[in-house]
Amino acid sequence: MNLAQLASLRRRRGRPLSRRHFVRSATGAFAAGAALTSGVWTPFVSAHEREHDHDPANPVPLPIGSFGFHVNAPVFLDPVDADPSTITDFQGFTGLAYISGMVSRTDRRTQAKVELPFLSSDMRFMEGEYRGFDGRVRRGTFGFI
Amino acid sequence: MAAQLDDMNPGISLTGLFWTMALPEESVEVDLGKGRAEFRVERAKIQDYGTFVNSLFGGPSEPATVSFEVHWAGRSPRQRVVDSAGEMEGQFIRNAATMEWSATTAKYEFVSQPAGTSSSLFAEIGHERNGAFFRDR
Repeated sequence: MNLAQLASLRRRRGRPLSRRHFVRSATGAFAAGAALTSGVWTPFVSAHEREHDHDPANPVPLPIGSFGFHVNAPVFLDPVDADPSTITDFQGFTGLAYISGMVSRTDRRTQAKVELPFLSSDMRFMEGEYRGFDGRVRRGTFGFI
Repeated sequence: MAAQLDDMNPGISLTGLFWTMALPEESVEVDLGKGRAEFRVERAKIQDYGTFVNSLFGGPSEPATVSFEVHWAGRSPRQRVVDSAGEMEGQFIRNAATMEWSATTAKYEFVSQPAGTSSSLFAEIGHERNGAFFRDR
């Protein structure tokens, strides 16, 4: 999905979305667009419960943003000055970048290699003080990968 | 048309934390005065969901390991942002970023071209406070 496709989805649904892709190209994006316009727009919890998901020291997610998940997408779908952090009750340094380039993908079994684009990979960091679910203030470093 | 092949991220936690994971403190170095930042991660364990939609809605995935190095550079006037509704304020420098990365999944190994061949559509670094820290300022 490129920027134009994202904008198109937003216009049609009036509900924006965001994404981060390491390796992708247009048809998958088109399919993604079709699915994302199906009206299923509730915040979702991954089936992959991660280690420490219940740790009270975990940071509190940003309140639900403009497209139904706990994240903003500055420039793409939210104003350029939207909060780039994915956690709230936070003060510190943040960085955000949408980066594109090329990557070689090698099949580990056959050693066949192909060159692929990665498009607008959304990379972010947050480093500083945060208040966890237990209300305590801690220092932490987090990456949006 | 080609298809999306891989979509790697840490997933969405039960609390709703979106594609975000805790990292060692030394992963990030920032010098706002010089407009520079480095974000380095070695062998982070994430998931490959295949497609963006599958990732968003928690479909099947397979383990992946990723390493990367992102560099922000460039000076610009600091943009002061105050968003009372969103409970956030900060100062940001809009600049440029490059990235070099590698990843391994069960089937594939990925190695990006050198960082200098990548480019950013948008990049910024800054210092902010939000939520309780915004209210308590």
